[in-house]
Amino acid sequence: MIRALPIRIIAAAAILVLLLVGVVVSENRARAAGREVLLPMEAVDPRNLLTGHYVALQLTQQLGPGQACPKQTWGYKEGGWLGLKPADGHHRFVAVAQTRQAALSGGADVAVRGGVYCSRMAFGDTQTDAVTLDIGVDRFHADQDEALAIEKALRARRPGDASPPALVVVSVGQDGRARLKGLVVGGKRTDLTWW
Amino acid sequence: MASYKARLARDVDDWIAAGLVPAENRQAILDRVSDGRRIDASAALAVIGALLLGAAAIAFVAANWGAIPRFPRFGLILGLFLAVAGGAAWAAKARRPLLTNTLLGVAALVYAAAIGLTGQIFDIAGDPQRALRSAGLAAGLLALAGRSSAAGVVALALLGFGEFAGEFDGGTSRWLIFAAPVGMALAWLWTSKPLAHASSLALIVGLFAVMAIYERWGATSLLAGAAVLAGLAALARQLSERATAQIHLAWFVWGALLFYGLAGFDEMQGGYLIAHRAGWLVISAGAVALGMHERQGMVTAAGVVSMIAAVCAILFDLGLGLMTAAGLFAVCALIALVAGGLTRRRAKA
Repeated sequence: MIRALPIRIIAAAAILVLLLVGVVVSENRARAAGREVLLPMEAVDPRNLLTGHYVALQLTQQLGPGQACPKQTWGYKEGGWLGLKPADGHHRFVAVAQTRQAALSGGADVAVRGGVYCSRMAFGDTQTDAVTLDIGVDRFHADQDEALAIEKALRARRPGDASPPALVVVSVGQDGRARLKGLVVGGKRTDLTWW
Repeated sequence: MASYKARLARDVDDWIAAGLVPAENRQAILDRVSDGRRIDASAALAVIGALLLGAAAIAFVAANWGAIPRFPRFGLILGLFLAVAGGAAWAAKARRPLLTNTLLGVAALVYAAAIGLTGQIFDIAGDPQRALRSAGLAAGLLALAGRSSAAGVVALALLGFGEFAGEFDGGTSRWLIFAAPVGMALAWLWTSKPLAHASSLALIVGLFAVMAIYERWGATSLLAGAAVLAGLAALARQLSERATAQIHLAWFVWGALLFYGLAGFDEMQGGYLIAHRAGWLVISAGAVALGMHERQGMVTAAGVVSMIAAVCAILFDLGLGLMTAAGLFAVCALIALVAGGLTRRRAKA
């Protein structure tokens, strides 16, 4: 048995713990430093037994008047950029492009890494085109009571309701990545905290 | 099942009776062989008790997981990991290699879980493939630091799962094919049978994952993979005095036969198909012969299974015609008989 083995094991474990803590700290720093963007969302199946209780986030929004569906569907992993601009208290989808510059060229003031797909949805009494944004943020983990309360509030509203929209709060960093900060449901904001 | 020492005692008694060994050497010979490790009932109960206690603790924490604030939850996970790794360090200091190895394997698994749970606790969006690969690298670090084959096996398993997580077809990065030879080298250095098994399997899976990138090459890539594994099997045979080399030999023969068989289902037609099926039967028979010659049951089994698969495939392809199938079997039988006859004649000479 090698004499230095205990020290080597302790050193390796310490390195691994520091790496994990480093990831958490750097992610939280990037989350705090990024630009805050609010995006509308719709209710979908909120929980999964294997990964714990969470609210699944579907960032769907109605296209504006005269705005056409993007010609091709992009996934987050395909490495595209979405252009967003503020309107009515949240950010709206403007364009999808391969580069940050191209995404910002259509009047957008924030570019976030992601993809988009288009579908036909009912908003109130009318069927209209809607886009669902894929920005790598697809769930908000919460304890069971909190997840159920959020789910109930989400299901109580219908797309196109006059009630305050359900919003996802993300932080868009310099690298263009969106990091989840919290949710706004029924006018109540729930932020991610250390506690 | 009689232990090696009990079988040796029986053999020594036979040799003494035959006058091959002096009777007074009996005890000295048996003293050279240690008794196998035995775990008594109290130790077994202690292990079961510890496992049940661990399960109870996990269930208790899981039941109250939602009620624990985020930061203490994170601390709990890191604390668990450090406790297990610390236990491994203590076991290493106390010169208990089996316990050290086991605890480092558990620590590698706990760290993999910690990566996933940290993402969940702090809602850090991540790529499952990256998470699995990071966990695999962490397990690899623990394996190297603590000379732990268990952590090495965990590392290869996590890297293997990472290979198939996310977009397997679309992705172009492959890690297992590089990790497997490292595992084989460590298995060689540490004379670790579990790591030899895991690294051999990892190499086969890794090769398969690489082939998926070059899927358009079809049967060619599978045949190339079969040739690579056959070459490695030949190399392992040259080194077969080591137990780990025998394990590699068995796995590589299985892998080579698997890849060769699969290649025949990739739109081969006409003469190529007939040649493939004939080759399959011959190679399978060769594997059976090799296994019997080397007294490697797993190699013999690979040959037998492969031959059954080949026969089934030929019967399935009976589009070739019954006469062609009969001719194919007859030619292969002839080759086997001639090869057997030549081998015997050479052995006599």
